[in-house]
Amino acid sequence: MPGPEHYVALSALLFTIGAVGVLVRRNAIVLFMCIELMLNAANLALVTFARLHGDLNGQVMAFFVMVVAAAEVVVGLAIIMLIFRTRRSASVDDSNLLKY
Amino acid sequence: MTTDFQLPAIDYQAISPLLILFGVACLGVLVEAFVPRPARRRVQLGMALVGVLAALGAVVLLAGTNVVTAGGSVTVDGPALFMQGALLAFGVVALLLIGERRVEPGGAFVAQPAITVGSEADQRQASAPGATEVFPLAMFSLGGMALFIAASDLLTMFIALELLSLPLYLMCALARRHRLISQEAAVKYFLLGAYASGFFLFGVVLAYGYAGSVDLAAIHAAVDTSQMNPALLYAALALIVMGLLFKTAAAPFHVWAPDVYQGAPTPITAFMAACTKVAAFGALLRVTYVAFERLAWDWLPVIGVIAVLTMLVGAVLAVTQTDLKRLLAYSSIANAGFVLVGVLAVGRTGASSAMFYLVAYGFAVLGAFAVISLVRDREGETTHLSRWAGLGRRSPLVAGVFTVVMLALAGIPLTGGFTAKFAVFSAALEVGEGWLVIAGVVSSVIIAFPYLRVVVMMWLSEPSESTATMVAPGLLTGTALGIGALAVVGLGVVPGPVLDLAHDAALFLR
Amino acid sequence: MSVLLAQGVEVTAGEAWTFWLLAPIAVIGALGMVLARNAVHSALWLVLTMLALGVFYVVQSAPFLGLVQVVVYTGAIMMLFLFVLMLVGRDAADSLIETLRGQRAAAVLVGGGLAALLATGTYRWLEGTPAAGLAEANAEHGGNTEGLANLLFSRWVLGFELTGALLIVAALGALMLTHIVREPGERLSQPEQMRARFAPGNYPAPKPGPGVFATSSSNTTPAKLPDGTASPRSISPILPIRELTAAEAADKETER
Repeated sequence: MPGPEHYVALSALLFTIGAVGVLVRRNAIVLFMCIELMLNAANLALVTFARLHGDLNGQVMAFFVMVVAAAEVVVGLAIIMLIFRTRRSASVDDSNLLKY
Repeated sequence: MTTDFQLPAIDYQAISPLLILFGVACLGVLVEAFVPRPARRRVQLGMALVGVLAALGAVVLLAGTNVVTAGGSVTVDGPALFMQGALLAFGVVALLLIGERRVEPGGAFVAQPAITVGSEADQRQASAPGATEVFPLAMFSLGGMALFIAASDLLTMFIALELLSLPLYLMCALARRHRLISQEAAVKYFLLGAYASGFFLFGVVLAYGYAGSVDLAAIHAAVDTSQMNPALLYAALALIVMGLLFKTAAAPFHVWAPDVYQGAPTPITAFMAACTKVAAFGALLRVTYVAFERLAWDWLPVIGVIAVLTMLVGAVLAVTQTDLKRLLAYSSIANAGFVLVGVLAVGRTGASSAMFYLVAYGFAVLGAFAVISLVRDREGETTHLSRWAGLGRRSPLVAGVFTVVMLALAGIPLTGGFTAKFAVFSAALEVGEGWLVIAGVVSSVIIAFPYLRVVVMMWLSEPSESTATMVAPGLLTGTALGIGALAVVGLGVVPGPVLDLAHDAALFLR
Repeated sequence: MSVLLAQGVEVTAGEAWTFWLLAPIAVIGALGMVLARNAVHSALWLVLTMLALGVFYVVQSAPFLGLVQVVVYTGAIMMLFLFVLMLVGRDAADSLIETLRGQRAAAVLVGGGLAALLATGTYRWLEGTPAAGLAEANAEHGGNTEGLANLLFSRWVLGFELTGALLIVAALGALMLTHIVREPGERLSQPEQMRARFAPGNYPAPKPGPGVFATSSSNTTPAKLPDGTASPRSISPILPIRELTAAEAADKETER
């Protein structure tokens, strides 16, 4: 029977998949999706902990995280669009003007 | 259905600095919509300056307040007010730099960033007046920082973190010259910043799982009473501190700093270096001192190692730099390490020394970037060291100010930098953290070398053909320079009042 | 709704089935996102994970969040991602070239270790902890949504206002970074363009191509007019005219 530990372990697993994805992928948009996955994993843990503690504040927090993520996505995609327009590539490796 | 809904008691006076900042920011957005283009910059700059000064006034009026308000989201106490005051003072100087349009025709910001670099339309906007949206963005960012310092629960802290970061990401992409580098800096800063805030958030979640609440005070209480496995709390602490150390640019979470400092428009770099540092350390102090104080013996050695690493990495890599903005970025990393030494001297003296250090460093770095914005050639700012050789002979006054600022950063006596370093090191010695002091002194000696090299190059080399020209500072940059230099010298010669103020303020309300 | 709210403390068999069915799907979706070479496939895999998470929210007495998850995350945010991907170009596949040698392998190794540690760690730390259940908290104000609203506008009212500020920043930033102001008269209508084209003093025929194949392979080399002079009309006005010097144009003796 799945208890809180199962949900939180799943959430930790998804979080690390996202965190590793950021390190192995090169496309800025995919990288950003990995970050979204990390936020989603955090939300799953929040909802689980809310149930564990019998406290609705956790769900409110998950709601806030969704709103914040929406704003972050808008800003992030605007910046990525901007850089793509100027150099026709979304790969972070092509962004290499700034080196030592 | 229920009728028991109750609004929380909100002490509007206690959060008045925040309300003023966000109010002016929203008004700024309306100004963008309704005020004709030619008048916008004056209106925006005037409004922003009045707003920040009014918020500063509100902070001064609040001195001595100790309340938790807005449903338990905001704590207004000594450290919060002291650091908000410092933040807003830096904000005034940074706004002066952002508003400057004499030095570069049209200002440091591009009018329409979406226009393809190098196209005909881009050449037409080469000297068009820059985007005025930076003013409301800077105000939102300042508001987020002021809240970040005063947040009394981790969720409000997370929202404030995003609120201060998003405008910074955007402003990084707006440089008029070297736009590709600027946009690249924005992408890097955004991706790494979002990554770090993801870690911060997961830490918050685990802390909630442990304590059943995200209030810092409740977490403090739960350390003794919670039935949960303490490992959750340690994981939470590690992830939260990681997110905060990213914002302070501490090693090994510092890799973004040099690129972003170099790529961002210089006024924004100054804003980031001075204000973000204060905000991030404000939050770090609050989290470690209020929520995790009972775990101090566990986090002290870990953050101690990070502090040593930060100081050494910053100092050693600063020596190898040939670009002044990168040099100052590594110097900001090293300085983050010095502030961490203050933070690690857990207690009133430690907090007050860290806060004093932030004030001294902020004014010095604002002055340094103000000078950098003045040294130019036809291509814009020239930040390569070799182009600065002989500048002292050409324009002794501004070069003199830069020398004072560099000496302050190097920690030469009679400057604010010396007093600040002395304060953090003696605070660390007081609690018996001698190893931090040894590492600190070693890295201060190492990092003095690049600063002094710049000074020597400016004064002792002959000006040659490749020497850049120093543009005469306009009223705004001139004022910023004056404030920076005066504060640096003032904090060195008569540090007493500010030290006392910091000491009086350095008690956190739990 | 009432069925969902009733459960809470004890885990039903239905929940067990849902969990063991959807948890692997969520993980597969996450792995698929990281491993898919095509960015659009990545986005779709992520949608799968997000939908599975939405179901988990509903099962865990958070019906409102489950709905918001589907509407906001999969409906709005992921569609925004897909829009941008389509604008940027679907073929923007990842390069397999490693700029830092061994970085991927190291990241996978460290990440695998971290995943095992965190997942088993959190599992062991929480094992056997009884869940209090949300039945009571949900019932307090008449339902899950009402309970959330009550908290949102009392305890978290400041945070709620601040998200407003956050959304203003996002809107302002997106506008600023993508909007190009068109001055009135900047775009000519078709008749105006034609009149300008055939106006005296203009050259109505198509512009000559650059002298790409004549002496060099550079499109900054202008075409030659019959009298031997370079035609500036043949290259883009933003390019500097550059003609090969005699030494550069000379036979390099590499053809033999």
